[in-house]
Amino acid sequence: MLAGAFLAAACTSGGGTGGGDKGEIIIASNFPTSGADRASGRGPEAGVAYAVQLNPTVKGFKITHKPYDDAVNGVHDPQKGAQNFTDMVNNAKILGVVGPFNSNVARATIPVANKANLVMISPSNTNECLTQDFAYCDPKPAALRDPSQPNNYFRIAAPDTVQGPAMADFAYDTLKITKIAIWSDNETFGKGVADNFGKRFTSKGGTIVVRSDFDTKTTSDFKPFLQRAKDGGAQGIYAGATSATKGCIPRAQSKGIIDVPYMGPDGIGDSQCIKDAGDQANDKMYFTNAAAEAAQDPANKDLIDNFKKAFTQKEDLGAYTFPGYDCAKILLDAIGRAIDAAGGNLPTRKQVLEAVGKTDKLKLSTGTYSFDKNGDPTSATMAFYQLKGTDWAFVKQFSVGQ
Amino acid sequence: MGAVGEAIRRRRSDLRAGLTGRLLDIGLYVLIAAFLVLLASKVGEHGPSYLLQILFFALANGAIYALIALGYTMVYGIIELINFAHGDVFAFGAFASASLIPLFGLSEGQVWGPFTIFQLLGVFLATALICAALNVSIERIAYKPLRHAPRLAPLITAIGVSFFLEGVMFLWKGPSSVHYPDVLPDVHVELFGARLGVKEMTVYITSVVLVVALSLFINRSRLGKAMRATAQDRDAAQLMGIDIDRTIAATFFIGAVLAGAGGAMYGLSYNTAVFDLGFSAGLVAFTAAVFGGIGNIYGAAIGGLVLGLIRTFWDGYFDSAWSDVVIFGILILVLVFRPTGILGMRVPEK
Repeated sequence: MLAGAFLAAACTSGGGTGGGDKGEIIIASNFPTSGADRASGRGPEAGVAYAVQLNPTVKGFKITHKPYDDAVNGVHDPQKGAQNFTDMVNNAKILGVVGPFNSNVARATIPVANKANLVMISPSNTNECLTQDFAYCDPKPAALRDPSQPNNYFRIAAPDTVQGPAMADFAYDTLKITKIAIWSDNETFGKGVADNFGKRFTSKGGTIVVRSDFDTKTTSDFKPFLQRAKDGGAQGIYAGATSATKGCIPRAQSKGIIDVPYMGPDGIGDSQCIKDAGDQANDKMYFTNAAAEAAQDPANKDLIDNFKKAFTQKEDLGAYTFPGYDCAKILLDAIGRAIDAAGGNLPTRKQVLEAVGKTDKLKLSTGTYSFDKNGDPTSATMAFYQLKGTDWAFVKQFSVGQ
Repeated sequence: MGAVGEAIRRRRSDLRAGLTGRLLDIGLYVLIAAFLVLLASKVGEHGPSYLLQILFFALANGAIYALIALGYTMVYGIIELINFAHGDVFAFGAFASASLIPLFGLSEGQVWGPFTIFQLLGVFLATALICAALNVSIERIAYKPLRHAPRLAPLITAIGVSFFLEGVMFLWKGPSSVHYPDVLPDVHVELFGARLGVKEMTVYITSVVLVVALSLFINRSRLGKAMRATAQDRDAAQLMGIDIDRTIAATFFIGAVLAGAGGAMYGLSYNTAVFDLGFSAGLVAFTAAVFGGIGNIYGAAIGGLVLGLIRTFWDGYFDSAWSDVVIFGILILVLVFRPTGILGMRVPEK
């Protein structure tokens, strides 16, 4: 119901400016926007709505926004996502989609959109297997796409593989750490970020003094590892883990053994980690996040202030609102170029898709975007958070090449 | 039947004495020697104070395993049941004591006064009693009615009780790890460059006191004598006027006291607990009991200690990803050569 209300708002503002007499182009969005997942999905949806509100027409075509919800009982659902995309494919006016929010929904929807050359841009998917081929990927990225069709999937979030190198840069350059101890939970994500961290850290000239992988289901005893870290003279510890795999329990156990910066991927950036770290939860803890914060760039002040006036619900402004806004802007920019390519007429989906791929250093609220052949951003902005008092706080963000 | 069994046993010992057996023996010794050489080189690399430090951690780890293993082995000794719910009673002890700590006026990082130790003893005592009451109820409800049923029935019930307890703890504290308040003071003694912390000391002292008390109880008290008699021959013990039900209940009571104390010490040492903690801890402790010789309380204590030593030393010198493989690999080797465990499946009496 709420979604319907703002759709109506978007339509009126679109119609109000006039000039949309060559026809209508619809930008769809697909996020989990009901129930518990609304907290994640409503932000980017509002971002897309805002972008369309600010750009009601493109080269004589009226632009409207059609939001889809992929949540079932409040949880994002790949099946529902695939249904939504089938619906979009059958609506000839839809020339591009912003979304989905979750990587598993992307996995189910890329094949549907790919067959129809429908371009999709995700503000938040970080699973590396969506775009890159690693031995452990199942399914492989190629299996999601029809080999005879061009790639239709793009994203602006850094894939998970960038989190490790990003933190390695931060540890070595910002924290001036040259000796590190690394552990992982031995799972695909955790071991992956730990390996990537280690590779970048050694290539910068740092030394890994201990590297250990734990089966965190069978052990909670990290003291021998911490002792090894101390023995090797580690100046920092990197945890390739999430809060669900005991990511911050070693921080609590390091009391009396070793007190050095403790770093990890976005999987430890939550309140569970702070609880698990006990009285060792302090400003020596850091994590990386793939979502750049638009608010950190002073140039975005007016944009954000105006957004807050137009969108007043609690969930409207979240971590992914402006990444969602930027995806819609990339799409609008591409549609403009596609209209030119079609000689001022309604472009085909394939033309829009090709135009998105050719996006060239487009400066937007969360970064400057171009895409590589896989659809990944050529340089993604990574944000760094530090524990301050009782909550995580933004420290800095910089762009990290892959 | 007996004759056939005897023949099989003889055939087996013939085999072991034969060429294959000798090759197996040599293989085992080569493996052990290779491992010791590897360990020695690693130990040399890290130096003696590091070795001592790892030993301190290892003994604490092993002592906790030993306390859980004792409950497994006592129950097995007396009713030949692998009580799979025992690990969850241990986890319950960790959860219960985490909740009792604030009730006894303790909190994380607090200053220790002269009476703090009594508050902590109160937590231990209350935890032990709660776990004991729980375990005795489990026995009464889930095992006693099945005492004369086929062996598999109570085994399945035990697995059921284990899942039930995990479900209760899941509902109680949710799926995530629960932080266990760090109430022990951050004090330590320096010994040859290694730190012997209060956490380790607490574990050593508590477990030594409990094991000595258990040993005295079993060997000196009337109830202990009844337990030994019941373990040896339940029917004969009953004919001699021993109250079997009471004796079995007492076994579950004592096993749970040890597990509850173990749970509290686990929490104090590692500052974390999770609802399914009992599954993995129970598996290791059960392994320790088998390792030492199931049914034998000294075997369980030694088995727990040895497993703790193996795990911590492996974690301290090699990649932890392999520690389970190493532990269970050693278990297989031990069982191949000593099918009844290190000390054998002695009834305490003999």
